[in-house]
Amino acid sequence: MAAHAEAHHGPPIAHQSSRVDAPTLGMLLFIASEIMLFGSFFTIYFFARVVAGPDQWPPPPFHLPVFVAGINTAILLTSSFTMHWALQAIKRGNRAGMQAGLVLTLALGLTFLLTQIREYSRVGFSPQDGAFGSTFYGLTGLHGAHVFVGLTILTFATIRAFRGHFTAAEHRGVEISGIYWHFVDVMWIVVYTTVYIL
Amino acid sequence: MTEVLDQTPQAQAAPPKTGWRRWLLGPGFVRAAWMAPLFFGIGFLIVIGLRSIAHYEPLLNWLIVVTVAGLVTAPLGFLAGIGAFDYWVYYALGYPTRPEDHSGHGARSWKDYFRVNTDHKVIGVQYVVTTIFFFLAGGLMAMIFRAELAKPGMQFLDNQEYNGLISVHASLMIFLFVIPAFAGLANFVIPLMIGAPDMAFPRLNALSFWLLPIAGIIMLSSLAVPGGAFGAGWTGYAPLSVVGTNGNVWFNMGVQWAGASSIMTALNFLVTIITMRAPGMTFWRMPLLVWANFTTSLLVVLATPFIAGSQFFVMFDRLIKTNFFNFHESGYVLGYQHIFWFYSHPAVYIMMLPGFGIASEVISVFSRKPIFGYRLMALSLCAILVLGFSVWAHHMFVSGMANWLRVPMMVTTLLIAVPTGIKVFSWLATTWEGRIHLATPMLFALGFVSMFVIGGLSGIMLGAVPIDIHVSDTYFVVAHIHYVLLGGSLFTIFAGIYYWFPKMTGRMYNERLGKLHFWLTFIGFNLTFFPMHIIGVQGMPRRVSDYDPQFGTWNMIISISSFFLGASFIVFLYNAITSWIRGPLAGANPWHAMTLEWQVSSPPPIFNFDEIPQIVGGPYEYGVPGARHAVFNGAREHELEEARSP
Repeated sequence: MAAHAEAHHGPPIAHQSSRVDAPTLGMLLFIASEIMLFGSFFTIYFFARVVAGPDQWPPPPFHLPVFVAGINTAILLTSSFTMHWALQAIKRGNRAGMQAGLVLTLALGLTFLLTQIREYSRVGFSPQDGAFGSTFYGLTGLHGAHVFVGLTILTFATIRAFRGHFTAAEHRGVEISGIYWHFVDVMWIVVYTTVYIL
Repeated sequence: MTEVLDQTPQAQAAPPKTGWRRWLLGPGFVRAAWMAPLFFGIGFLIVIGLRSIAHYEPLLNWLIVVTVAGLVTAPLGFLAGIGAFDYWVYYALGYPTRPEDHSGHGARSWKDYFRVNTDHKVIGVQYVVTTIFFFLAGGLMAMIFRAELAKPGMQFLDNQEYNGLISVHASLMIFLFVIPAFAGLANFVIPLMIGAPDMAFPRLNALSFWLLPIAGIIMLSSLAVPGGAFGAGWTGYAPLSVVGTNGNVWFNMGVQWAGASSIMTALNFLVTIITMRAPGMTFWRMPLLVWANFTTSLLVVLATPFIAGSQFFVMFDRLIKTNFFNFHESGYVLGYQHIFWFYSHPAVYIMMLPGFGIASEVISVFSRKPIFGYRLMALSLCAILVLGFSVWAHHMFVSGMANWLRVPMMVTTLLIAVPTGIKVFSWLATTWEGRIHLATPMLFALGFVSMFVIGGLSGIMLGAVPIDIHVSDTYFVVAHIHYVLLGGSLFTIFAGIYYWFPKMTGRMYNERLGKLHFWLTFIGFNLTFFPMHIIGVQGMPRRVSDYDPQFGTWNMIISISSFFLGASFIVFLYNAITSWIRGPLAGANPWHAMTLEWQVSSPPPIFNFDEIPQIVGGPYEYGVPGARHAVFNGAREHELEEARSP
């Protein structure tokens, strides 16, 4: 055994015991954990709204910009499609398509985030305005932080895309950042429905 | 978060820097020493910048600055400095990475234990040693407040100091000892047990270890921060934790760092166990320790975000005056307890299931018998995992929560006794007519079974609403938690440390001192904590620094026993240190165990296996003629060739 160990310099290749590859599974589990984090914020939101809540929600005189946020939702949803386009493009070996898709996704995501910040400054209440303000900023802020993280990951993928990485055979960097981005989008639909529409 | 190996053509990596540039810019503590202040400055500017944009007055709020810059960005700077992020930064920016460079892997000298190391075995040892340090720190705090409690009346502590000591004692023991000590042992053993060369994400593994000293230092310093020590109890209930001393912020952030560390480790375990098992290692051939950590990791990944949420809310309520738990602004105070216990009840299984795994390994090996009811042992772990999420409100029977929640929570709580009972009976049945070797690991494992039964019985009593109302917040609860966490978790941690000590260090511990350690701990533990049942039922409240003189005699006995218990760890430390330095060489398999980690040298080779073994049978077939767990040394290729040839 000792002589054998001298001869070889790297680890033995681990046996792959699942059809899912490790990075994808890791991202999915991370997303499960993220969903639970959102779950804790939803819990406190419904406690404040249903259990301890005032008769009217949102409590007067506050009201929510449902329409602007709806437009913003559309923007974020569109970015999921451009992300999908980027992944499909590189799967066919179309490097320019991937780059365009990534840049568009980044631009749409950034637009969403800036609109959200703009909304904060004009919405007419602050996190200090009752449990209503706290839970509103809590949920949308937590989501905003996730958009920021998603954009950071996408920026890295974009940098790599422009530096000549990713091929039709090896594009996990795009695929996995895409999974996270789709999660951020789907989560926004839940947040938007809960906070603005319900 | 994911670490993706780059398959694109590799450019030649830049040559290593030389001389002072390497000293200053290369990963290590020197770079950490300047990057941590740099990141503190960045955090400072972020706070000031955001506050000036939002027109908050005053511009400079030191509590917020310290929280963001001191407890978030500066630790990040430290991590960047020691090189925890180097690979990812190179990867993310598209620079050449060196997947074949294993310079950060394995330990060649003791100094390698103080670096960012990607070898799961090194990380496992790092974990265990770090957690023992925090265990001793937490234990010393217990000694101090037991001295205070020896007599009625106030001795040498004031109330705030007392509250600080009990709070930090509990948070260190829970977040910095029990949970990460299990993670450390599992880190060392799991890849070996499933026949993998390392964890699935070695760099993430290194990062999650290095979050731990950060969390520990933050928790420790919460004792001595300006604005008062953290004294709200380890549960940190709102509104006390919101309006109380500033040390609460340190607790909030310490929990976040420790929680992030355990989520990352758990994610890593799950991916490793699912994707990297050796050929033939089906789920029903996995050792129970692997099963135990699989279920624990699921609990961690799904539950820990809830404590993160609860601590965020408390911190926001204090720092930026939100109203999550502010009753006057229609916040919901009880929400804290619901969210907190939705994590912290599963957390007691996070603190116990890996111990179940260790006990199963040890009891089977030292009884020289197959584990009794292997599948049921694994399934009962899964049952605890599921039920664990449905019992949180039994911590809140007297909190004023909705009355209709009480009985369902009582029923689910008592239901958990079923899978736990299955495990206890299986361990007993495993020892039945076995050839029992009472070596130190076995003593600790059997001590665990007996003490855990006592803790389990008082747990059933506490799970019943009427008894719980009577003994809520008394020493009965203190006795219960110490029987399950000290008699349960600590005993199994020691069983694990003694069991794998030869594998980790290559040397054998001193058996006589090990047994002495066990008996001192066992006797001291019972003398300390059993009387607490009695004074608890009589109504002595916990978390109070003074008490009625009628409890004086018992408390004096408890305090003296606790010093005895504390002193017993000196035996352990002496044994561990001297044996590590000059104990006799242990050999590959001193316990004649079948699981894979014992089939390689002690300590194991740098990548665990020269070739991945082929698993051909169950892991506990002791005394079964002809039974084999794994096949090594080319036998796999040989069998495959035979299968291929017509």
